[in-house]
Amino acid sequence: MTAATLAGIGPDEIASVRRMHPEAFGTLRGKLVQWAVWVGVIAYVIGSLWYFDVWKFAYASDRVWRLIAAMFTWKDMETWRYADIYTGIAQTLAMAFLGTMLASLAALFIGFFAARNTMPFGPLRHLVRRMLDVLRGVDQLIWGLVFVRAVGLGPLAGVLAIFVSDTGTLSKLYSEAIENIDRKQVEGVRATGAGPIKVVRYGYLPQVLPVFISQSLYFFESSTRSATILGLVGAGGIGMIIIERFRANLFDQVAFVVLNVLVCIFVIDWLSRKVRERFIGETAH
Amino acid sequence: MLTTEKLTKSFKTRNAVSDVSLSIPQGQMVGVIGRSGAGKSTLLRMVNRLAEPTDGSITFEGKDVTALRGSALLEWRATCAMVFQQFNLVGRLDVVTNVLTGRLYHHGFVASMLQLFTASERAFAIRALDRLGMAHTALQQADTLSGGQMQRVAIARALVQEPRILLADEPIASLDPLNAKVVMDALRTINREDGITVVCNLHTLDTARSYCDRIIGLKDGVLVFDGTPEKLTQDMAREIYGAEADDAFAEGLTSTSLGGEPAKQRLTERDLAKNAQLGLAAS
Amino acid sequence: MAAMTYSGDDTVAEFERHRAELLRSKRAMTALFVLLFLAALAASIYVSRFYPDRLASGLPRIFEYFGTIMPNLELDKLLLSRGDDGRAIPGSIAYWYSDFWTYIQLIVETIFMALTATIIGAAGAFLLCFPAARNLAPNSVVFLLSRRFMEICRGVPEILYALVLVFAIGIGPLAGVVAIAIHTAGALGKLFAEVNENASLRPVEGIRGVGGNWFEEMRYGVVPQVMPNFISYTLLRFEINVRASSIVGFVGAGGIGTELNRVISLYSDDRVVAVLLLIVLTVTLIDLLSERLRTHFIGKEHFA
Repeated sequence: MTAATLAGIGPDEIASVRRMHPEAFGTLRGKLVQWAVWVGVIAYVIGSLWYFDVWKFAYASDRVWRLIAAMFTWKDMETWRYADIYTGIAQTLAMAFLGTMLASLAALFIGFFAARNTMPFGPLRHLVRRMLDVLRGVDQLIWGLVFVRAVGLGPLAGVLAIFVSDTGTLSKLYSEAIENIDRKQVEGVRATGAGPIKVVRYGYLPQVLPVFISQSLYFFESSTRSATILGLVGAGGIGMIIIERFRANLFDQVAFVVLNVLVCIFVIDWLSRKVRERFIGETAH
Repeated sequence: MLTTEKLTKSFKTRNAVSDVSLSIPQGQMVGVIGRSGAGKSTLLRMVNRLAEPTDGSITFEGKDVTALRGSALLEWRATCAMVFQQFNLVGRLDVVTNVLTGRLYHHGFVASMLQLFTASERAFAIRALDRLGMAHTALQQADTLSGGQMQRVAIARALVQEPRILLADEPIASLDPLNAKVVMDALRTINREDGITVVCNLHTLDTARSYCDRIIGLKDGVLVFDGTPEKLTQDMAREIYGAEADDAFAEGLTSTSLGGEPAKQRLTERDLAKNAQLGLAAS
Repeated sequence: MAAMTYSGDDTVAEFERHRAELLRSKRAMTALFVLLFLAALAASIYVSRFYPDRLASGLPRIFEYFGTIMPNLELDKLLLSRGDDGRAIPGSIAYWYSDFWTYIQLIVETIFMALTATIIGAAGAFLLCFPAARNLAPNSVVFLLSRRFMEICRGVPEILYALVLVFAIGIGPLAGVVAIAIHTAGALGKLFAEVNENASLRPVEGIRGVGGNWFEEMRYGVVPQVMPNFISYTLLRFEINVRASSIVGFVGAGGIGTELNRVISLYSDDRVVAVLLLIVLTVTLIDLLSERLRTHFIGKEHFA
């Protein structure tokens, strides 16, 4: 052990250390790989932006500023038809509520068909699961577009869109909850001589219901978020008001509506969290 | 010369450190003892400015350390290395990079963000690891090492800072006796060979007696003893440690059987004192 | 002995009284919730005009519509290639998917949009997540600013950003990429910040102790700890973004959504399922791929 200083490390010293611990100085291959990854990523981003016509920004700046300015200077606020706005928000909430509730009811049945322990018949279980995959694979907004074409503009299409896509996801989550239950309790009920329906009612439901309710509440929360944009394709709710006023170049009103929606979503989040903490927390224990 | 003048750190209701005035000449090995919560850690962290003093001042070679801000503060931390009880290594980086972090103050923004270290820095880091017998682990991920190995890597990191002062906050409290001895020996060697001032918080009295030139005793944040190990009487030690006395002496017993070697020149004299102390602790 | 029996009786009585009280309050709570639920249900039905007659008239139309969007494939002509005049024969797959290469081109564009947006968004999230972590933020002003900024980014759905951006910079995938990138920066930034808040501060203190500045504390103290989680979250986000980039086309922001919107709105009914099938296939494939990558990264980290 000798005292050393950085200044005292000459080329000879470096060479001798390098001879004994070559890897500590980094291998050429390692360095190349590292650089190649960085260069590749940056080149990809630049290349793809170029392909997506990034130069458009250069011509857009003027419009962007006008748009932003229009959003923040609120004019003629007395003519904004507030009743429509708040009806739209209420409609969005109603769509989310109905859609999630119906989806929960559907998932209550479908979930048992998709769970391994309650549906021992493999082919049917797989068929149900694949159908759920398709329901989830198609985005809610696409369902909205499809249902608007089927039943016309309005909240009915929105409710159906939420119902269909939430059924896909909730059924899967429900079936997972059912698969994770404590089997001993079910056997206990079965041992009393109960039939299959009664086994589900007394053996399964008490265990899974708290989980179901908590997940449905969570989905109500997330459906309120997604329901706000369903209107963009005509499926009812506040989104219809947003796009209608956007198309009429009433940007200040759009900004106002979006602000209201954000506050509303914030309140729902908070409420739902409180409810889950207070009640589901207690029931689950 | 490192001096503190009426150094005080107060939390809401009590003083962690009150009115500590010290002056430590360059190259001294100082042990700070006291029971848990006596303010040892706070004192060291204030010197490195990881904790802000409430009152008082710290000066090093005429420079007011307490007034440093921004880049000057970082420079002071680089000059005044710190070794921690829990090693504070970056577990997911390899050992040599951990050691190289000791050079960060001397790097520009881009070089440090891209982990660009020069060849001479790497050689220096390997040499530092070598001094502590850890060069063979240079490419291992730090969290695969044992506690004693980690602490030696942490000391190597402190060494590549080329510090004037090395602060060690309970460096052996999380280690077994064998590793504790290795680490204390290393600190002692660095102190002797490089002329670096070492200020070391120690929980056990006997390690402090074995390795340090000077012992500082803190009780409830107040300086109650400052002198050579010989001057630390049993009554004084009891006063410093209070209810924890038996504990501190007993722990000393385990590490004594392994420690003490580097300070051989004083061994005979201190052996007597040690025996007396053992008798005292046993009664 | 007698005294003990007496006090025992007292305990039982008190227990029964307490039980009855609990039961009553529990029943009252349940009733209240049922009432609230029914009220919400009634209000929802009223507000969204979800009346039985509308439903009754709407439901048949749904099945009717799903009938019309099914391709009319004929078994005997299914695999026929194009005729001599270069036209596909109705009833064959070639006819159903006569725009196949356009779709593929759009699907590829959709995936590239998602990838670019994920990279840019993740880069933004990476820069924002350190000041937005409670334990790492250099001061409360920076902390609150970055938090609020991320909330704005993720609070507004990407398709709304897309709508505005299409107006500002014109129709095309660029608007979609920017919209998804903004939303990603907010959403990932929050997740990243949460990871940071769970990181150990010991390495950070170690770096501070050697004289490193805030950036170096983050770079050496935090980044090595959190990187595996960041990568995993980013891959997850990529899956979500592929879905998002397939729908931003509804407002003109590029990708396969543009085509889907066109075939649905222009009554080219038989093409709807053709496009939908491709979208579902792509999304499923990307999910599988990304899951592989995720287990690869996390698995490797556990191994080391």
